[in-house]
Amino acid sequence: MSYFLLLAVNGLVVGLIYALVASGLTLVFSVLKVVNFGHGSLYMLGGYASYYLISGLGLHPLLGVVGAMVALFVFGVVFERLVIAPMYTDKVERKDEYAIIVTFGLTILITNLALVVFGPFAKSPPSFMTGALIAGPLILPYDRLIAAIAAVVLLVGLSLFLKRTALGQALDAVSQSRESAAVIGIDPKRMYTVAFGLGSALAGGAGALIAPVFALSPSMGDLPAVQAFIIIVLGGMGSVGGSIAGGILLGLVQSLGVGYLPDPNRALAYTQAFGALLLIVTLLVRPTGLFGRSHLRLE
Amino acid sequence: MGSLSVSRALQAVLLVVALFLPLAAGPYWIHVGAIAWYYAMLAASWALLAGFAGQFSFAHVAFAALGGYASALGVSLLGLPPAVSMVFAIVLAIVTGALIGALVLRLSGPYLALFTLAISEIFRLILVAEEDLTRGMLGLPVPGLFSGQSDVPYYYLGLALVVAALLAMNWLLSTRVGLFLRAIREDEGAARASGIDTTRYKILVFVVTSVIAAIAGIYYGHFIGILTPNIAILPEMGLVIAMAVIGGIESLPGAVIGAVVVFLLSESLRAYGEWRFVLMGLALILVQRFAQNGLYPMIEQWSRTRARPRAAASVEDRHAG
Repeated sequence: MSYFLLLAVNGLVVGLIYALVASGLTLVFSVLKVVNFGHGSLYMLGGYASYYLISGLGLHPLLGVVGAMVALFVFGVVFERLVIAPMYTDKVERKDEYAIIVTFGLTILITNLALVVFGPFAKSPPSFMTGALIAGPLILPYDRLIAAIAAVVLLVGLSLFLKRTALGQALDAVSQSRESAAVIGIDPKRMYTVAFGLGSALAGGAGALIAPVFALSPSMGDLPAVQAFIIIVLGGMGSVGGSIAGGILLGLVQSLGVGYLPDPNRALAYTQAFGALLLIVTLLVRPTGLFGRSHLRLE
Repeated sequence: MGSLSVSRALQAVLLVVALFLPLAAGPYWIHVGAIAWYYAMLAASWALLAGFAGQFSFAHVAFAALGGYASALGVSLLGLPPAVSMVFAIVLAIVTGALIGALVLRLSGPYLALFTLAISEIFRLILVAEEDLTRGMLGLPVPGLFSGQSDVPYYYLGLALVVAALLAMNWLLSTRVGLFLRAIREDEGAARASGIDTTRYKILVFVVTSVIAAIAGIYYGHFIGILTPNIAILPEMGLVIAMAVIGGIESLPGAVIGAVVVFLLSESLRAYGEWRFVLMGLALILVQRFAQNGLYPMIEQWSRTRARPRAAASVEDRHAG
């Protein structure tokens, strides 16, 4: 029982981080109708940004996370303006392919740049707080606890921002209909930039939060990116609530799968394959996802 | 000189260079060249699938892995003679290609990309996990096709396969099927409304390109002598995409030249380590941003304007305008 509890709690922590990564991807998809294939590299960049802010400027680890989010927001805004923005003009004929290629190109660029600049060896940033919470059979290191709490705060904050603020509502309006939003005076192009910046910041924040738990490496974003693709399809492309539910579900399934399946090599491979299978089945049977909003139906 | 014959002449010159290269190059570069043909087959067939037919698939390298593994396991596990085993692998690619083509009929754009990415990952993970069958990351040994140590026979086999694949795909594109595929890419609904059996042609293009990818994988396996699941990892797919996009996603010879140039560059710049791939990622973004049809069509156009006498050019321009 305590083994189960341990796996479940760890799965929940990882699931919340997945949810954070996926919510950024979802925000970008719902507003721009673009799947950012470079999302995992932004997650990795966030982890390194916070590492260098903490070790270079001597910031408190939690401030490092905030700094990483700001840095990634700026990065996202610049990338969107320079590379993605031409997509909305007539110069780009096949927009879907264009978006996939440039964001995938970003992954190749950033991942290899990280290998050169940061080096291939794992780096470990300082803990948010050393020690662990011990409650009966449950042992939860404070780093994991703090990462989970911060992820919840960010997810709740994002949901409130989208529902309660004028900017958030404008983003939601553009995600529902560009034309109607433009009619009531919202500039869709500005919202694309804001959404891409926010999506990048959320990926970066997730990478910075997980950094003290797992070590930093240039390829650290590969797995969370694939998980985020699975989650946004599961959660119905474009639904933030769906991303949260999907993330937690996937984190739990993987943690328990690796913990309980007999052959560890197979368990690791097949729990990952299980997620990919979920994506395939969802796209075939229910393309709007488990929690999809009707207006984001497959076009 | 017509514009068609200019690009024909350009391709003929490149083919002659490729034919005589082993006379001038040492064994290392012949080896590199033989690997480049593997990528050339993948990039060209992916260009047909993604560029001409608009089916942006991430599962192309998985088909190469399918071909390579099926051909190798047919010999070692089922006891088939190598030639029969290769036919078995190709038949498997036809069936799988048709199946995936049929499954993705209703998907397009990012949905198709995610779907094929998931298919590819599942296949790779099975190759990793089923060690009893595939030997996992240890690698599956594959018997060679030719006796002796030289890579020259492989080089010419690869070149012949690339030329054959290009001729076959060009022939396909020159028939009505080529028009239908482009019509489906531009507007599937309109294509269907004008009487094109979109289902049939979408499945057909998946089958044709999957078979070419599988043949590339069979060739690669027997040439290198060992297969690992890493031939189907995402960065390999990225390499193929970058080659096709940089060369020209809507030009089959462009994709081949893109593959050869990118691969030769990455081999000759080995001393610069990962910087090569930084450069490749940057080139991919810049080409897509500023020259969406790729670099080879630009060169073709440039040589066309150079080769054309001025008077004829102005007449043609007036007609075109």
